[in-house]
Amino acid sequence: MAIKPTCKEVHRLVSERMDRDLSVVEKLRLRVHLMICDACTNFNGQMNIIRRAMHEFPLDKD
Amino acid sequence: MTTPTLHEQLENMRPALLRFALLQLRNAERAEDAVQDALLAILEKPDQFAGASSLRTYVIGILKFKIIDCLRVAGRTVQIETEPDQSEDDVIDHLFAAGGHTIDPPRAWGNPDAVLEQRDFFRVMEVCLEKLPAQNARVFMMREWLDLETEEICKELQLSSSNLWVILYRARLRLRECLDINWFAHSSGNKNGN
Repeated sequence: MAIKPTCKEVHRLVSERMDRDLSVVEKLRLRVHLMICDACTNFNGQMNIIRRAMHEFPLDKD
Repeated sequence: MTTPTLHEQLENMRPALLRFALLQLRNAERAEDAVQDALLAILEKPDQFAGASSLRTYVIGILKFKIIDCLRVAGRTVQIETEPDQSEDDVIDHLFAAGGHTIDPPRAWGNPDAVLEQRDFFRVMEVCLEKLPAQNARVFMMREWLDLETEEICKELQLSSSNLWVILYRARLRLRECLDINWFAHSSGNKNGN
């Protein structure tokens, strides 16, 4: 494990955080990286929109 | 205008429920049965839905059990027939350069409320869901639409947790890419939900 997480690791953690509890170390690595990385921050926002969209998916006919 | 009856409201939801059940069951007859059973169960005991939560949540909650039943009856021998496609690893790897940086950094999708107000967004999203590989779609729908716990999905589909996490990650990456190309690339201008 590199000292600084890569975007590749952080993307995976952003997704896995939606499915499991991250360890304290993982949470810290994620948080520190998100503070400095726009790409991963945007990715995180995109994942949140996808999750919300699935919960709000309209079922009625338009 | 009269308020639609429960029956009318459910009929109105039926097409969408069917399409979503089909994404998980991959069999028209089984999807039809699961939805029919769920709707009948609700109509037989309309009192059970006494304004508790929304009708939507209630219907999906009932359908969840019907879909799980259906997966059990279909038996674990009926695996999804598609091969795990060879490009599976590429879905993740092609996003990143050797040093682990994103090759094409994700852009901001804007205000979630504004995005989710637009009916057309969901049409595009549904097309994207339909384009997912079968197993991706099934697992993703179970997790994000039926809201099943990961342990339950692992049990029903006999997957390890780490396997499940990576399937969900790939499904999300595919959806993200599809939405980014087909919706957000065109929505930077003024799209007013028409």
